[in-house]
Amino acid sequence: MVVPLEHVIILSGLLFSIGVMGVLFRRNVIIIFMSIELMLNAVNLALVGFSRYHNNVDGQVFVFLVMTLAAAEVSVGLAIIVALFRNRQTVNINEMNLMKN
Amino acid sequence: MDLSLYFTRQDLWGILPEIVLLVGALIILSIELFARSQRAAMLGVGILSLVIAGGFASKNFGSSFILFQGMVTLNDYSTFFDLLYMTAGIVTMVISYNYLERKGGETRGEYFALILFATMGMMLMTRGNDLVIIFLGMELLSLSLYVLVGFLRHDVFSNESAIKYLLLGAFATGFFLFGAVLVYGTTGTTNFQHIASAITNNEILSDTLLSLGIGLLLVGFAFKVALVPFHMWSPDVYQGAPTSVTAFLCTAPKAAGFGALLKVFLVAFPALHADWQDLLWALALLTMIVGNISALVQTNVKRMLAFSSVTHAGYLCIGILVLNEMGVSAILFYLLVYSVMNLGAFGIISLLEKEEKGVNFKDYEGLASKHPWLSASLALFMLSLAGFPPTAGFVAKYTLFSSAISEGYIWLIIIAILNTLVSVYYYVRLIVNMYMRTSEETLVPFLHPLLSVVIFILAISIMFFGVLPGWLIDTVTQAARIYT
Amino acid sequence: MDWNILSWLIWLPILGSAVIILIPREKADTIKFVAAVATGIQLLVAIVLWTKFDSSTVGFQFQEKVSWISSLNVHYSLGIDGLSLPMALLTALLSFLCIFVSWKIEKAIKGYFALFLLLDAGMMGVFLSLDFFLFYIFWEVVLLPMFFLIGMWGGSQREYAAIKFFLYTLAGSVLMFIAILALYFACGRTFDMIEIMAIAPTALAGKLWWGFESLKVIWILFFIAFAIKVPIFPFHTWLPLAHVEAPTAVSVILAGVLLKMGTYGILRISYPMLPDGAVWFAGALAVLAMINIIWGALCALAQTDLKKMVAYSSINHMGFVMLGMSAVVAAGAKNGTNLIAAEAGLNGAVLQMFNHGIITAMLFILVGVIYDRAHHRNIDGFGGLGVRMPIYTGIVALAFFAGLGLPGLSGFIGEAMCLIGAFPVYRGIVIVSVFGILLNAAYFLWAFQRIFLGKLNEKYADLPEINRREIFTLVPLAVLVIFLGIYPTPVLDVMKTTLSHLIEIVQSSSLLALQ
Repeated sequence: MVVPLEHVIILSGLLFSIGVMGVLFRRNVIIIFMSIELMLNAVNLALVGFSRYHNNVDGQVFVFLVMTLAAAEVSVGLAIIVALFRNRQTVNINEMNLMKN
Repeated sequence: MDLSLYFTRQDLWGILPEIVLLVGALIILSIELFARSQRAAMLGVGILSLVIAGGFASKNFGSSFILFQGMVTLNDYSTFFDLLYMTAGIVTMVISYNYLERKGGETRGEYFALILFATMGMMLMTRGNDLVIIFLGMELLSLSLYVLVGFLRHDVFSNESAIKYLLLGAFATGFFLFGAVLVYGTTGTTNFQHIASAITNNEILSDTLLSLGIGLLLVGFAFKVALVPFHMWSPDVYQGAPTSVTAFLCTAPKAAGFGALLKVFLVAFPALHADWQDLLWALALLTMIVGNISALVQTNVKRMLAFSSVTHAGYLCIGILVLNEMGVSAILFYLLVYSVMNLGAFGIISLLEKEEKGVNFKDYEGLASKHPWLSASLALFMLSLAGFPPTAGFVAKYTLFSSAISEGYIWLIIIAILNTLVSVYYYVRLIVNMYMRTSEETLVPFLHPLLSVVIFILAISIMFFGVLPGWLIDTVTQAARIYT
Repeated sequence: MDWNILSWLIWLPILGSAVIILIPREKADTIKFVAAVATGIQLLVAIVLWTKFDSSTVGFQFQEKVSWISSLNVHYSLGIDGLSLPMALLTALLSFLCIFVSWKIEKAIKGYFALFLLLDAGMMGVFLSLDFFLFYIFWEVVLLPMFFLIGMWGGSQREYAAIKFFLYTLAGSVLMFIAILALYFACGRTFDMIEIMAIAPTALAGKLWWGFESLKVIWILFFIAFAIKVPIFPFHTWLPLAHVEAPTAVSVILAGVLLKMGTYGILRISYPMLPDGAVWFAGALAVLAMINIIWGALCALAQTDLKKMVAYSSINHMGFVMLGMSAVVAAGAKNGTNLIAAEAGLNGAVLQMFNHGIITAMLFILVGVIYDRAHHRNIDGFGGLGVRMPIYTGIVALAFFAGLGLPGLSGFIGEAMCLIGAFPVYRGIVIVSVFGILLNAAYFLWAFQRIFLGKLNEKYADLPEINRREIFTLVPLAVLVIFLGIYPTPVLDVMKTTLSHLIEIVQSSSLLALQ
């Protein structure tokens, strides 16, 4: 059975929106980070769907690049979060307001 | 295996500058591995590789190549940006010398290597002719910058700005990617020329999805270059990051963001530019007004400059709105001048900074009587940022605004001019502090011959491009002509 | 005529400024010497220019035109005519004298003289440039050194005064820049002022912008810009503060030359480029002139600070200049094509600009002299100084009498010509303005009486008499005041042809026929 393209786009759009909501409304840095990963994976899903629809592999190649990026971002991101946690003992985004005037 | 199936010798020659930067970065990392604290050597290798790469890149002036089956294009446009990034890289490396130590950190090899990686990323952004390459370049740049911003890892401010930059940067990447995917999905390709021809031949899957895609791409770029309302990260990040990194962050990557955004609109969506004018108009207006008003009330110089750079992004947006040869060349001119002014200003701030002192307006009181040359240079950069003749900042604003007037955006330009009038207040405030107030205790600059030479060159070029801008205007016009 | 005499006028002080920057700061005498030499040669060049100037030809002389930024169509274009020549000479003369007025400056001498020469170059550039881009750059170049000179070497409130001056005048120049851009695009993308003078009246005729006539929009923009500089009534609030806080020499330049940039701009730019605007606005200009005259005089009367009084007298005197300028409409058919009145008005206005430059320079130098000795400027705080300082008192008397417009001294002729010119058209306004002269006499004489007459204030029993250096700065000005009071013809001859031509241009305005 072939899944229609619309379904893929709608699912991917939903996942992306959930990710955006997560970034906007969650206060824990790690959860926010996970939400961003969800956004990237929504992108991957759409890429695969479109790639299948257009019958070219550009999209699937793109997926590999996005996955690599996501991995690199996680490693850098976690390192930064760890450094922050060592200094501040918190991962709550609301407490990161040292620089407001 | 026959590699010539994938790339030719010409392709490799074309990316020689990137290869040089990569090798340079690896050498620096090896030095770090085997001979720690060889700061001078690492700085030397870093600058040398930027200079060599710049030499190779500048050989491309006047010619144009399409490499890697249309993934990368080399021409005057990309070469102009290449040289801009490399200049910014060199200046950043010089002003970083010893800076981190003064802030209680340590200059490690990664620092210089990351600047080289970031430069590579930016080069890909303006050389790329494909959404995938732009994406790769942008991420190479962003990942390097996340680390650079948080480089003072025992400093809570640096930590905090790193995490903010990371989260919002990654968030923006998500938008950019989803936009890219929708553009790919609706046109069936990621290559700029193919996207453009798909649009003109009306071979699009869905107009709505394409518009949504372009909108999301725009949001992604708006985050990266800090357009209102996607600018919230920039003041915190600019303030908390090590000042030497801020100097880099607010110049070259902004230029790269605008360079790539321009290229996307010029090459991939020229047919749709008219549909986006109202939005760009509103973005330009909002960005310059909000940036300006926020900058008025700051007490921290770095934060003031952050908002000022938001304002400048608003002015640059006007050029994207115009998007003809005059507008694009004006943007290129503006980006170069803007980079020089900000590198100079942040450079001077970074060498005055020591532990907690040196970033507030108050700290600058009475500086002029103790260090007249340094104050004069900083005053010059401020006046140029304010767009005062006969500095280069004036010519930059003039070319940008007059290109927009000839396209009929008269009210926008009147508002922009009034905005520059308001902006004078906060730039001049720093000058007033330096020259017209006295203080018991003035800042003590860390001056190093190389540093003085670099600041001197930046100041001279601000005057030079202000008084004799002809040559530079011709160069940018030539670069802009390629896509317009 | 191939030795670029006008460029020398501009570049000599810049050169001097560059040399001063290279001199180590300990060598104060060398710095002053270089500044004196640079401005001295400039003054000589200006005098040579005056003698070589052919006052019978219409149009610009000694023109220089080189392409500067070709891609923006900007030229380095200079020229001089009967309107700019007196201003150029005034600038050179006052700059030279002010170097000596500043001789006792102690704080950061190097910066002071470098900035002062830059200021000199900027003012000279404003009066000589014939390209709008160049004009605007010089206009702004004047602003910056002025800002630093007030802000760094000024009195106790210098920071506030400097910022207020800077923002006020910058707002004006920004409006001017918008107007310049409007003219640039309306006249086929040229910055050439001569070309715009030829094209603008027809290019703008009948053009509507957002329901307003384009020439009125541009006129108003230019007018506000120049009005801030002059300063004309509601825009004058920066002036007393800046004058009072500035060091003596800077006050002299500010009142002597900078204010003239405003009226010069109206005559150089607004009148020939927008003759319809000139006619349309003449009535308002006359009313504003009257307000300036009366308001300036009344404020001066109320001051206890001598310097502030002199500052307000400038507002009053510039009112006469504007009144003379408004007389140009007398040349219209409805007003009986009264060319004599129009000429009297315009010539009087320019003569008054020149004279006021000299008189107010004297006044500010004299205020500086007493302030250097007594360290205050309170008019009521002195008394009977005439006995102690007879020479000083004599010179002050001369300057005060010139300021109040005593016949026989230079102030009288300019003011009289302005009033005579405007009388046929604006009878009521002129009559009210004459009361301004009475008020002038009142505050000058009252101040003189309080300071120099009466019983000697014991505190100042051994106040030293004015010294030779100070006398040296005042003598040339005093000589000019007397000479031009008796025989103003040399100055009037120089500007006559140019101003007659200006009247012809305004006469060609279609509005004038209706009025």
